[in-house]
Order: sequence, then C-alpha cells, then structure tokens
Amino acid sequence: MVQIVILIAVLIIGGYAIGSTLFAADKGPLKEGSEPPQFKLADLDGNLKQLSDYEGKAVVVNFWGTFCPPCVKEMPEFERQYQKWKDEGLVILAINLSEDTLTVNNFVRRFDLHYPILRDVNRKTERSYGLKSYPTTFFIKPDGSIMEIKVGGMTEAEIDERIERLLQL
Amino acid sequence: MLLVENTKCECGHQNSVGTVLCESCGKPLGYNDESDLPLEMRYDGVARRSQKSNPNFIDRIWNFFSSVKIAIYLIVITFLTAMLGTIYPQENTFINNFDPSVYYEETYGLPGKLYYLLGLTHTYESWWFIGLLVMIGTSLVICSLDRVLPLYRALSKQQVRKHLQFIHRQKTVFRHKVEGDAEQWVENYGAQLKRKGYRIHLDGSALLAEKNRFSRWGPYINHIGLILFLLAILARSIPSWQMDSYITIPDGDTVQIADTNYYVKNEKFTVEYYKDEELPDKLKGTSRAKLFETKAVLYECVSNCNDQLQKPVLREVKRHNIVVNEPLKYKGIKLYQFDFDTTPRLNAVHPVLVDKQTGQVYGPFDLPMKDSALQHKLGPYTLDLYANYMEFDIGDNGEPTTLSRDPIAPAFIFTVKGPGLDAKGEPYIYFPMQKDKVKFSQDTINGALANKIEIRVDGMENVDFSEASTYLNVRMDKALPYVWIGATFSMVGLLMGSYWQHRRIWLRVDEGELSLGAHTNKNWYGMRSDVAGALQKIGITVDPKSLDNGGNNA
Repeated sequence: MVQIVILIAVLIIGGYAIGSTLFAADKGPLKEGSEPPQFKLADLDGNLKQLSDYEGKAVVVNFWGTFCPPCVKEMPEFERQYQKWKDEGLVILAINLSEDTLTVNNFVRRFDLHYPILRDVNRKTERSYGLKSYPTTFFIKPDGSIMEIKVGGMTEAEIDERIERLLQL
Repeated sequence: MLLVENTKCECGHQNSVGTVLCESCGKPLGYNDESDLPLEMRYDGVARRSQKSNPNFIDRIWNFFSSVKIAIYLIVITFLTAMLGTIYPQENTFINNFDPSVYYEETYGLPGKLYYLLGLTHTYESWWFIGLLVMIGTSLVICSLDRVLPLYRALSKQQVRKHLQFIHRQKTVFRHKVEGDAEQWVENYGAQLKRKGYRIHLDGSALLAEKNRFSRWGPYINHIGLILFLLAILARSIPSWQMDSYITIPDGDTVQIADTNYYVKNEKFTVEYYKDEELPDKLKGTSRAKLFETKAVLYECVSNCNDQLQKPVLREVKRHNIVVNEPLKYKGIKLYQFDFDTTPRLNAVHPVLVDKQTGQVYGPFDLPMKDSALQHKLGPYTLDLYANYMEFDIGDNGEPTTLSRDPIAPAFIFTVKGPGLDAKGEPYIYFPMQKDKVKFSQDTINGALANKIEIRVDGMENVDFSEASTYLNVRMDKALPYVWIGATFSMVGLLMGSYWQHRRIWLRVDEGELSLGAHTNKNWYGMRSDVAGALQKIGITVDPKSLDNGGNNA
C-alpha cells in the first residue's frame, strides 16, 4: 500500500518535472510548425483585433515600421496581394513596431492601405514573437501553425508564391 | 526457484526473509552461523522492508530503487553528465536574444555544433537530466524507507538477553569470571555505565546499555533534507516560481516587468565616478564607478491591466534606492542594479513661437517626441502637426524619412497658419536639436517662412530629457526558502550522524562466566574505552586494546 502511494507520488511529481522540460523545449524560438503567440492589439480605428479571431483562415502577420526601408517597400505590395487574394479568405495583419499615431496614420494614408494595421505597444508583441530584425513575416496556416517565417524583405513574386502555397493548405 | 528459507530462529522467533541476525536473540541465521568471525551488524541484521521471496512487478520496481548500488550508479551518472554541461556555456547564461543553432558552431566549430545537436547546451533543463534527478529522489525515498522502518522497529524492541554467539562475535568482546552474586555485579557495572551516559536495561543477569541512539536517524534526516532540496529545485519549473530577466528603464519612464502585474519607474539614475586622487596610480584617468543608484518605484497594476486601449491604473507598493547589492525587494521579487547607459534621450521640449516681424513671443507649448497633440494654438498662430520623424533623414527618393524609432534626431513638420501667411497654411520644419538644425539647414528648408517666424527653445529648463537609462535584473525564486530548509535538514542530519555514535553493550553472566560484547557504528576506540573505563571503576583493570576482537574498522 505504502509502495503504491509512493510510486504514484513519484509518477506525478517526476512526470510533471520531466513533462515540463519537454514542454519548455517547445517554447523556444518560433519555428515552422510551432504555434504563434496570441496578441490583442488595436487597429487604426481603435478596434481590438486578436489572432484567434482568424482561426481557420490563412493569415499573414507582418511586422513593419516606417523607419525600415524594405518594410516601406513591401507595404504596397502586400496591398496588391491583399486585393488579389482577399476573396479567397486571405487575412493580412500588419503590426506596426510601436511607432506613434501620427507617423502610422500618415504612412497608411500615403499608401492607401486597406488591410488591418495593428498597433503594438511598447514592443510587447514584437518581443513575444522574438523578432530580431525587420521586416519579419509569419505565414500562418489555417490550422493555426506557422508555415514559414521570412526574415527580411521579399519581392512581390516571393510574397505571391508563398500566399498561393498558404491558401492551398 | 529458490528453496524456501527457514527463517525461524531456535529461540522461537519468526523472522522475515532476508534477516541476517535473529530479530529477537541476535543469533546469526543462515549457512555461515558456524564461523566465529565478527558479525555484520548493518541495520542490526534485519531484513529490508521489501525483501520478499516472490516479488511481483511493483516489488521489482521497488527493489530496483531500494538498492544502494543502483543509487550510487545514478549519482555517478548524474555527476558525469553534469560535468558535460560545463564544457561550453549553457544557453541560459546568455542575456541577449541569440541564436544557439548558429552561436555554438561559429564560436567553437564542429565540437560546438555537436554539443548543440546533442542538447548539451541546456543540459540541466533536459528531460534526461531532470529524469536522473527524479530517479535519485525516488531512490532516496525508497532506500530510506526500506531501511529506516525495520531498523526503527528493531531498535525500539530490543531484547536484553542476547544469544551467546551474538555477543562473542561482536568486534569488542570481554570475558571474565565473576565471583559472588551475578545480578549484583551486573547492577554495579550498569551503574558505572549509567554515569557514562548509557541507558541501562536489565533482565536478571543480562544487561543492555545503550547511548546516542538518535545518531542512527541522522542519515535519514539528511535524506529528508536532500529530498526537500530536490523537490524545491524541481518546483522551479512551476510557472511564476522562478524569474531571471532584465529590463531597461530610461530616467522618468515606467516599464512593465514582463509576465507580471508589476511596473517599475526609474525616477532618476545616478552614476558617480572616483576622482583621480581617490584612485591608485595605474588607474588614474580611467573612469571607475563609485556608485550606481536607481531611485526606483514599484507599482502594482490594479485595473485596465490587459487593456490595450486604456492606460493601466497603477498603485505604488514600494519605493527604494537600488544600489549594487541592495536590491528592491517586494513579495519575493528582487530588482538588482545590473548596468546602465548614459546616452541621453530627448523626451519633450517646450518651445516658443517668435513672430520675427513684431518680436512677439508666443508659448511655450508642450511638444513631446512621441504622440504629441496634433494642434497647438499660439496667439494668432495655429500649428498643425503634419508629420514627425524620430531620426530624420532624406531618403534615396529625396523624401524625408526616419532611420529609427528612437528620438535620436527628431524633426517635426507643422502647417502654420496666422497673420501674413497663406490661408491654407505654410509648412515649417522644426528640429529640436541644434546639431540637426545645422546639419539639415532648417532655415534653408523653411525658406521665406524662416524670416517671418521661428520656433525655438529658450533655455535648458524647457528641455525634458532622460540623462541615462538603468538596466535592472529582475529575479524571483520562490523555491529558495525550501532549498534552505532542505539544506538545514540535511546539515542537521549530517551532524547527528557524524558527531555522535550509537554505542551498545550487551552482557550476560552464565554460571559465573561473564560474556560482554559491544557495538558502535564508528569510533571503536571510544567504545572500548567506555567498556574498560566502567570495568576499572568496579575493580577490573583491563587494557582497552585487548578488547578488540578483530574485524574491519575495529
């Protein structure tokens, strides 16, 4: 009886300890196949949007800033891609890198962007995604896992090819 | 199948399987009982709790962990693998975001790559290392239980009159002819032993004297301590039990400690350097810090904590001037001074608008670098903020752009309306920093408007900047008190087992023939001198060395 109680205790405590190390290994840097961290951010109109709102859809999460020339170049390309694929259910979420309101508004007006622009605050979301350089784009499959992480700028053809692949999944 | 062992002693006591010495009279059991070598007295010869003739599956697992040999293997394997973890730095010793898959190969070449691929870069968090610790813990619990319970039972119901073989085969033995009344003699001797701190149990002409039995529990108390220690270390993986992170706070800013409900404000960071006359010659002329101090305030968020749209409501909980080794402490969280950066950062300016024709000065108005008000009304003038840049530059396409999001070279473009100006407004670019004003030739860009108005800051009192940023190390370790408790238990157990010895003397007089045997777990020299000293007191002089009956450690 004592034996069983002790062996069960060992199983529970040891199982928890070993299990949490395996789980922690999963928490390392984001990679293909892992689950992207959740976020809840305001768009330009002050509406809160969160990643889980788009469950079951192909989502492109792009981190950008007006101070980053390749990001600036990409934004209108994403707009064209958005117009091309939005009827097939493509979602583009462009997360600004914690810049101020006027800067972001001016930028969006200048390029006439129609996909949701989300405002990160104090670099929180960018940190949770472990960003090291800009732009960084996450292609998220409808099942909620990451298809690809692209660090650095892309040509429009590269974006197009990836979105096409993403929508086929 | 083994023969069923006959475990019944000739004294009539039924012993359990695996018993070496009869639990009652002490007679050696088994095939070697004809020998007259000193007895193996470990655990008083009782069977381990789990020794069974027919072990089932659970018994087999139990027996595996009950083995001291296995425990030693486990400990040795753990030591060896722990050594592997010290070859290269572990991943968790790096503070900055770094990519281990690249770092180890770049820094150490192929061995580094292999080290990373084998997972040794996080040895101490790996499943197999934690697994080894869990197994050691299990082995500690089971080994101890398996031995301490039978030992406790054996020691709490000891028979006074032991078998002659048991007495004669102790490592300290004395035989003697007793004249006169045997019981009287035993009583006298017992009285002498009592003066040496022994507890005396009499049974006619037999005696058991015992001292410092508690030292036998030392190893088990030590094990309890080690188990607590291990559990405490394993408990660190419980979320929010352990934290070791770094935050950067510019003067005057309030920053959230990630994954907590706490915010820290750096009211002012100060660094003081030694003056040259305070330094030894070879260090003169170098800047050696004498004091780093962060005037810190810790806040707890009370509402709007996870609301992106509203400012969190904070309540001050603690205020402390953090210097090296004097962290801010609050409910287990500790904020240590870690580093600093004395690059100043411009937060806001309070400029005035000067009408160059009339000499009239309007303002000052508040112009923070980030999220400024979009319109400023100054007398007859209206300034509409059209654009702002944190690190102004002219891009490749000739358009103004920003190189970063930190206010390194801030610039503001206003649309100015007012007397004598275009009704639609005229653009005016304003650089708060003099160096940028010159570099980008503000007056040239502004053209004719530069002759009509000027936006400028009068005096340093109208400049709000952070002189420095402080870097704090945030630590939390809720397991630490338990680690200390475990360590204390472990130490107490060690002391109990090391500085006291469990000594026992058995004797019986049979027809004028005294047989005395004594046992201790260590310090046989002291054991023999106790026996001989008490004999001396009742008139029998014996050389303590002559009591030695051989045997190891004797």
